[in-house]
Amino acid sequence: MKERIIQYIKHEICNEPLEGIDVQDDLLGSGIVDSMGMMKLVLFLENEFKVQISTEDMTVENFMTVKNIMEYLSKK
Amino acid sequence: MIHTLAQIIERSAVQFPEKDAFRCLDNSITYAQLNIKANQLAAYLITSGIIKGERVGIYMNRCLDTTIAVYGILKAGAAYVPMDPFMPLNRTISIMQDCGIEHVMTTPSQLKKIKSLVEKTSFLKSIVGISENLGTTTFSWENIYSKSLEDFCPPRIMEEDLAFILYTSGSTGIPKGIMHTHKSGLSLARLAANLYDFNETDRIGTFAPLHFDPSTFGYYASPLVGATAVIIPDAHLKLPVSLSALVEKEKITVWFSVPLVLIQLLTKGEIEKHDFSSLRWVLFAGEVFITKHLRALMQQWPHAQFSNLYGPAEVILCTYYNLDSVPEMDEPIPIGTVWGNTEYKILDHTDKEAKKGVPGELVVRTTTMMHGYWDNKALTEQSFYRVKIASGYDHIYYRTGDLVKENDNNELLFLGRNDRQIKLRGYRIELDEIEFTLLKHELIEEAAVMVVEKSDKSHELVAVVKPLFGSSIEAQSLTAFCKTYLPGYAVPETVEILEDFPRTSSGKINRKEITKMLLPD
Repeated sequence: MKERIIQYIKHEICNEPLEGIDVQDDLLGSGIVDSMGMMKLVLFLENEFKVQISTEDMTVENFMTVKNIMEYLSKK
Repeated sequence: MIHTLAQIIERSAVQFPEKDAFRCLDNSITYAQLNIKANQLAAYLITSGIIKGERVGIYMNRCLDTTIAVYGILKAGAAYVPMDPFMPLNRTISIMQDCGIEHVMTTPSQLKKIKSLVEKTSFLKSIVGISENLGTTTFSWENIYSKSLEDFCPPRIMEEDLAFILYTSGSTGIPKGIMHTHKSGLSLARLAANLYDFNETDRIGTFAPLHFDPSTFGYYASPLVGATAVIIPDAHLKLPVSLSALVEKEKITVWFSVPLVLIQLLTKGEIEKHDFSSLRWVLFAGEVFITKHLRALMQQWPHAQFSNLYGPAEVILCTYYNLDSVPEMDEPIPIGTVWGNTEYKILDHTDKEAKKGVPGELVVRTTTMMHGYWDNKALTEQSFYRVKIASGYDHIYYRTGDLVKENDNNELLFLGRNDRQIKLRGYRIELDEIEFTLLKHELIEEAAVMVVEKSDKSHELVAVVKPLFGSSIEAQSLTAFCKTYLPGYAVPETVEILEDFPRTSSGKINRKEITKMLLPD
């Protein structure tokens, strides 16, 4: 799961090559994922992991880092 | 009496030493602390050889360290140049080369990007904000805060001295640097604080990133009156539910953002579940606030006052319009009248003053005007409209490039960019009028209309629309919809439906980027 998410962000969302994304990196604050990237990421997660992500779940606590996303998905 | 931006913090540090000057999530800094830390940074910069007028880069996302960087650089007599970490690295490098940046202030979360920046450049002398050794001298913030201020001798700064340079994309694709002085920045702070009656009990939501000119509200107007500026982190701006919770928790009293942030809050922020009763002013600028969304928001927040601000980054802001009541019609709201210490003219295409009620280009003369574009005398002169008073003495107006007209109440109406009026197959078409028509459709949240050059070099009118969250529209029905309002030649030949639009880093619809997406491969 971790690798699939990181690969997607790296190849589909980042505008520029990054040396790597750590599970603890702040995706939204450090310039990795912009607003459009965020929308794409949510769609990807919904399709890839067959989950429904509701508006109220789209919070900083659930989406700040890859680690947060994984913890969130595991609860779904 | 103060004359410079640096003095804002010095004065408030005496008047309100223990008050929070800035907050960002769980971090905060008092006026006294900020004054000392900014002095320490200034002392460091001066010992590193920074001289008056030199440019120092700030490479940071929205965070508390920005405040120390801004005031430290100003106190050293230098000018700061914000560089957006969301921007492609090559563009950042071209900005650094354009204005000769050798020192960069950053923050640990930018370590990876800074590493790439160092690898790609050879002119950096030092980086403040990280401790890792990157082959260029680096200083952590802790290093800076341990500096003694015993020998610190701050330079004398004049109000005409350069304070910051804001880069925007030029029409030719080469970024242009808008130079602001202590005078233009401080004037902005005074006018804003006065107009909206800011006081030390206010908590001012700071949404704009440092490289976007409305950031001057949070960074200058707020500390000018001893208020607390609450920096909204990047993450919350992308996640409206979290933004609602944060604004409630921080008890924000003044909101100032682009309309987009408010619209996202309205449609996806679950605002009915949160308490926004502390809000007394909701200010917006940067783009037209689509009236139907504004009305919905005003109905949600009847206790707050709403004001539409307008101004290109070259003058920061220059007009305002306070809404006395919820707008009943879908017509765009006026941009209002100019604020203090500002005058204007409306010019026709021959540069003569247009008759009252006739559309023309807005030119403004104001105390918040830029000094000019960095290292570009020709472009600076082109952007000015001069009225000769006597030999060697002109009144200088800035040409906004925006079309306006005056209504019967002497309020200015914004009609669009000068260059948004195009000619296609001989017909004169107002692209903004087509967008406005599309927005009348109840299922459309946002719309952008542009002319795209096809592979056979012919031009085509294309509309791109974003449906209201959770709804779907068919392109065909929209063409039909346009036909009921517009002449045939102004009906878009193609309508594309997008989940969301590419945006500029300040949240505006990025029409250039959309045009690129629409180009044939």
